[in-house]
Parts: sequence; C-alpha cells; structure tokens
Amino acid sequence: MSFNDKLVTIQGLSVEFYTEEGIARVVQDVSFNIERGQCYALVGESGCGKSVTALSIMRLIPDPPGRVTAGTVYFNGRDIYKLSEKQMRRIRGKEVSMIFQEPMTSLNPVYTVGDQVVEAIMLHQKKSYDQAWVDAAEMLRKVGIADPEQRAGEYPHQMSGGMRQRVMIAMAMSCRPDLLIADEPTTALDVTTQAQILDLLDSVKDQTNTSILLITHDLGVVAERADKVAVMYASRIVEKADSDDLFAEPLHPYTRGLLDSLPKLSQRPKRLVTIPGMVPEPLSFPSGCKFHPRCPLGSDDERCKSCEPMLREINPGREVACWLVKGYESEQERKEYERKYGKNHERISAQR
Amino acid sequence: MPNKQTPKSQWGISYGELVWREFVKNRLSVIAGMFIIFLFIVAIFAPFIANDKPYVVEIEGQRYFPLFRHLGAIDYGVLLAGVVAVVQLILIRRNKKRVDPSERGEVLLKQIMISAGVIVVGLVLLYLFVPRRLDATNYHAMVESGRAENAVFAPIPYGYARTNLSVREQPPSRRHLLGTDDVGSDVLARLIHGSRISLSVGFVAVGISVVIGVVIGAVLGYFGGRVDFVGMRFIEIMMAIPQFFLIITVVAFFPRSLLNIMIIIGITSWTMDARFIRAEFFKLREQDFVQAAHAQGIGLRSILFRHMLPNGVAPVLVNATFGIAGAIFIEAALSFLGFGVAPPTPSWGQMLSLGVTTTGRFLWWLSVFPGLAIFFTVLAYNLVGEGLRDAIDPKLRKAA
Repeated sequence: MSFNDKLVTIQGLSVEFYTEEGIARVVQDVSFNIERGQCYALVGESGCGKSVTALSIMRLIPDPPGRVTAGTVYFNGRDIYKLSEKQMRRIRGKEVSMIFQEPMTSLNPVYTVGDQVVEAIMLHQKKSYDQAWVDAAEMLRKVGIADPEQRAGEYPHQMSGGMRQRVMIAMAMSCRPDLLIADEPTTALDVTTQAQILDLLDSVKDQTNTSILLITHDLGVVAERADKVAVMYASRIVEKADSDDLFAEPLHPYTRGLLDSLPKLSQRPKRLVTIPGMVPEPLSFPSGCKFHPRCPLGSDDERCKSCEPMLREINPGREVACWLVKGYESEQERKEYERKYGKNHERISAQR
Repeated sequence: MPNKQTPKSQWGISYGELVWREFVKNRLSVIAGMFIIFLFIVAIFAPFIANDKPYVVEIEGQRYFPLFRHLGAIDYGVLLAGVVAVVQLILIRRNKKRVDPSERGEVLLKQIMISAGVIVVGLVLLYLFVPRRLDATNYHAMVESGRAENAVFAPIPYGYARTNLSVREQPPSRRHLLGTDDVGSDVLARLIHGSRISLSVGFVAVGISVVIGVVIGAVLGYFGGRVDFVGMRFIEIMMAIPQFFLIITVVAFFPRSLLNIMIIIGITSWTMDARFIRAEFFKLREQDFVQAAHAQGIGLRSILFRHMLPNGVAPVLVNATFGIAGAIFIEAALSFLGFGVAPPTPSWGQMLSLGVTTTGRFLWWLSVFPGLAIFFTVLAYNLVGEGLRDAIDPKLRKAA
C-alpha cells in the first residue's frame, strides 16, 4: 500500500465501552482517510462517537471500560495499534497532537503557560531550556498572543478562554505535528473569538502543512474550512463527501436536517428548524437505520426499520448510508424489495 | 544566566505565594508558626543553651573549650543542617528578586541539590572526623574548688544526662528554674534537649507516612477499578485497628530506639494521606489537562507526580501539619507509658510520667512544664495546620 499522501487511514474502526448496563457500541465500522495538509471535518450531534474516534487515533481510549474491538488505524504508514506504549508516547504530541473543547480546564492550573509550552517543546525535541523558552515565546507570538514574553509567565487562571485556547494551540503546534486533532475547539468560546481561533487554525495549517481533524457539531464552521466532511450519526458515518459537494447537495436526511437547522442570512428570521428527538443512547440503538425514528422523510420503506444501511459510494467521492437515496440500492436489491413488499416509493434526488 | 532575548518583566504570582498571603492574614497561625520556628532554633542550639560543660575554661593556665570538644557528630550535623536551611531560605528570597522566573525552577533545584549535598557530605565528614569523646569531668566542682578559672558556662549550666542525687526532686528555684527530677537532673535542660526528640519524631514520622500515603493514594486514585477496590479494603482494615494500640503492640516487639518509634508511627498513620490523595486523583484524572498531558505523550509517572500531584497535594500538606502534632502526641504518650525512648534520652512524655513518684507523691513541676511543652507544641502545629487549611481552601475551589 502506498501512504504517500495519506497521513491517516482508518479502516473499519469499532470501539466498545463495557459498562454495567451492557456493551455500548460507540463507534462502528468507521473508515476514512486524511491526506497531508487537509482539513477533515467530523460532524455530528453530541454523543455520536466523534470524540471517541479522534481519541482512538491517539490510542487514548480509556481501557477499561473502552476497547477498540475491530479495525486498524494507520498513521504515517504505521499500524498504531501494533506499537508499544513507549513508541506511542513518542508519536503523541510529536506527530499527532490534540486540542480540547474546554480551554478553561485543559491547562494545568499550577504551572505558568510558558512552563507548559516549554514542557511540550522539550518533551520531544532536544533543546536547551533557554532555547525552549525562546521557541515558546515565538510559538505564543505565532498564535497571536501579544507580548508573549510577559504572558508566558502568567498562570492559566489569569487568561481568558480565547487566550488559553491559543496557548493550547501553541502547545499542540510546538513540535510541528503532522496531524492536529481539534475536538470542538471553539464550542466553549465567544462567537467573536470562535472565528479568530478557526482562522488561526487555518493559518497554522497552511504554514506548516499540518493536517487537521476538525471535530464539531457546527456545520457553519465546517463549510468554510474543511476539505472533506464525514457526518456521523449514532456511532456510524452516514455521509462522506468533499465539503463543497456536501453543502451543495446533502444526501442523507440527517445531513439535510443539520443544514436546515442553521439559521440563514438570506431568509427573514423565523423559528429555527430542528431535528425532532434525540441521538439514541448507544445501549438502546433502534433497529434498522438508526436515524429512522427521527427521519423527516417518514418513509414506509420496510428496510429502514429492519436493515441498517451501510456506507456505499454512489458517485465518485460521495458516500452515503441511506436506503432512500437515489442510486444507493443496487438494481437487484430494488427488484427484490419490490417483489417482497410490492411497494415502490420516491427516492431522494440529489438536488434540493 | 539571564536570557537576553526574552526579557520577562512582570510575572504572575505563584500558587505558593497566594497561599502564603492568605496564611499571614491569620494572626493566630502566624504566632503559632513563629513559636514552631522558635522551637526549631531551641532544638538546633540545644547543646549550646543547656550544657554542663563550659564554653571556655582555664585549667592551670591553659585554655580549653570543653563544650565544643564534647559535642558529637549529630550535634554538629544538626547545626550544619540548620545553617544550610537558613542560607537556602535567604537564597529563595533572593531568587525572587534577582533570578529570572523562567529559570527559577532550575536554579532552585540546583541550589537544593547543592544544599542537600553539603549536608550529606558534611554529615559523612563529621561522622568520620568527630570522635566520640566522653568527658566526665565535673567542671562545676573544679570551678568551685578553684582548680579551673574564668569558666564561661551555657545559660543553663546543666546537661540533660547529668545526675546529681544531692539535689533530687527539688521544686523550681533560682538554681534550677524548673526544678529537678528524681535523679537530680535539671528539668529545663531536659526540656530543651527533649524538643529535639519531639520535633524530629514529628517530622520523620510524618515524612514517612506522607510518602507512603501519596504513592499508594496516587496509584489507587489514578487506576481505580479493581486496584482501588483491593487497596481501599486494605486501608479500611488498617483504619479499623486502633492506631495507638497497634503501635504499642509493635513497639513491644522492637528495640526502643527513637528511629524505630518514628518508623512505626510513620507506617501506621499513612491511611488518611492515601485517602486524601486518592480522592483528589479521582477528581483530577477526569480533568482535561490530564487528558491533554496524555495527548502530549507525557509519561505516566510524570503525569501522576508532576501534573496531578501538585494539584491535589494541598489537603495532604494540611493533614501533615496535624499529623506532626499527632506524632508528637503519640511519642509523648508512648514515653509516658514507658514504651518510648530509653531514660537518659530526654523525652517530654517520659518526663511527664515522673510527676507521680513510686511513693505516690505528686511533683507538680515535673508534670506541668513538660505538659505545657507538649500542649503548646501540639497546639501550635494544629493552629498552623488550620491556618494552612483556610488559606488553601478557597484556592482549591477556584482551581477546580
């Protein structure tokens, strides 16, 4: 296999959590590739398995209770689940790093932010303490912290949320990783700060050719910045496409629901559209398509209730998992279904 | 080595400074702290304050320094450690003004290493080169008989082990400010030397218990699950046994040396520390910065003890001050019951037990003065502990 341009290859990843109530299949059969210098977005509501997918790339699923039960994760051509813990530690922070949702608690409150950036630098690079401080100040300046020499000596509680997230980015980028995982990096921030942080991520990506795995529930964030998008719903990827294509013509009814939920500047303000219901709990997933109880199409297709659709490529570069999408079912399946149930119904066309 | 490229002018104050500022607001705790410092000074200089050997004496025209010749390696070692500690404290204050904060940690580490090195090397040298000299000369008698002249005695001219049966069981007088005990030793001299025992028991015992408690608590709290279940049952078993009776039982089997008593108190009182640290680590391991530390590829030991421990150590430090008070109390109680250090060694608890004689007389000065010493020392540690707890508490809430 060639991994020249593929930085991360995830194939058939499944993660289970063993709880007292039962086995929660949090991630099922997730596959995607991230290329170098690409911004890949993983979109979905809370609790659909996005963060767990991201953590499994760093091999940070807490075990117990969690366990990766199937699938492989190739990073830079190595199967990371075959590496020793020591080798893995060398990858974490150096080749993959991560920024978290809550900048308020992601920094250690007892050390100055400068100390923490310096630690990140010295952990993976052979640098003198003095040199690491110079680099740390430089890194902090790069992420837009004015007067970094002074602010490096401050403690996290002396900084605002946006500032702390900048520090987190500085720490994450200090070793010029190949992949930066950003787990909802802007959710906890003010709207005005959100855009700044996202622009910052964009610019560091361009400067260092770092790939970004952007995890978010905000499709608005994705639209401008991601190259590719995977939409997750209840532990599975339900749609995967180039960002432009996805926004031009969303196929899966869930993706459509997410897009419809965004307020639109072109319309008079009215009540926002919502997708009724909640993401099902991993312990009580519905049968068939996991989205069918909430599906706005309300189709009477029997397969929706009984048979879970798998992700299929219906056009080059477009993958979706929905029985109702035109071109999803094979000719043979269509005939079989019609013979069995004698029903026929509309298929969703790509155009809205 | 100041860094020219990154001049750092104004720096935030550290967590330690924040706690210190809160602490000094509490008058009573500060007074108690000063009392403890005073006790330390007394303990360090005990042989210079109370000694039956004169500093200087002239015998047959020749000048001698019996007190200094008589001191053992430990006395000089304690003195050396005290001096180094004071120098270190001065250096820390100086660091704050002179040394660039980015290097402060490094410089401090270097200084502490050097200080520790000086103490260790000093102790080894002292052990090798300071001979044990037994000097049974009665200088008081020599002065009185006129054989020795120009003697300069310590402020309290009695040693803790000096017996003088002619003045036994005397109430406080001008010669013996706090009276004498059943073998005619000066109570004040013994009290002063006894402070060394009490303070070292407190520190060493608590040091042992904190180290054991922190390591066990950290492991239980971080790993949780089955490890925690087994560990907690063990701790509960330990806690179910009354500590004092356990200690008495253990003491009965081992030689009655000071070190044994310290170790025994240490290894029976770590359960609270372990429980505190465990509870803190349960809370901390879910925190994002621990997750972030993992994501940076930091090793487990570093995460446990460098990143998590400083965030969870505050309750243990507070508990340690109470623990010191407790250890002093336990040592006094053991000595009172006759399980403590052997008699010539002065211990407050053992002195206390002499208050009631075998013939049933009550010698109040033998009970009151050691009793007050124990009372004030334990009280001071408790007050300092309380002050620390109050100083740390709101900070903990802010950090969480």
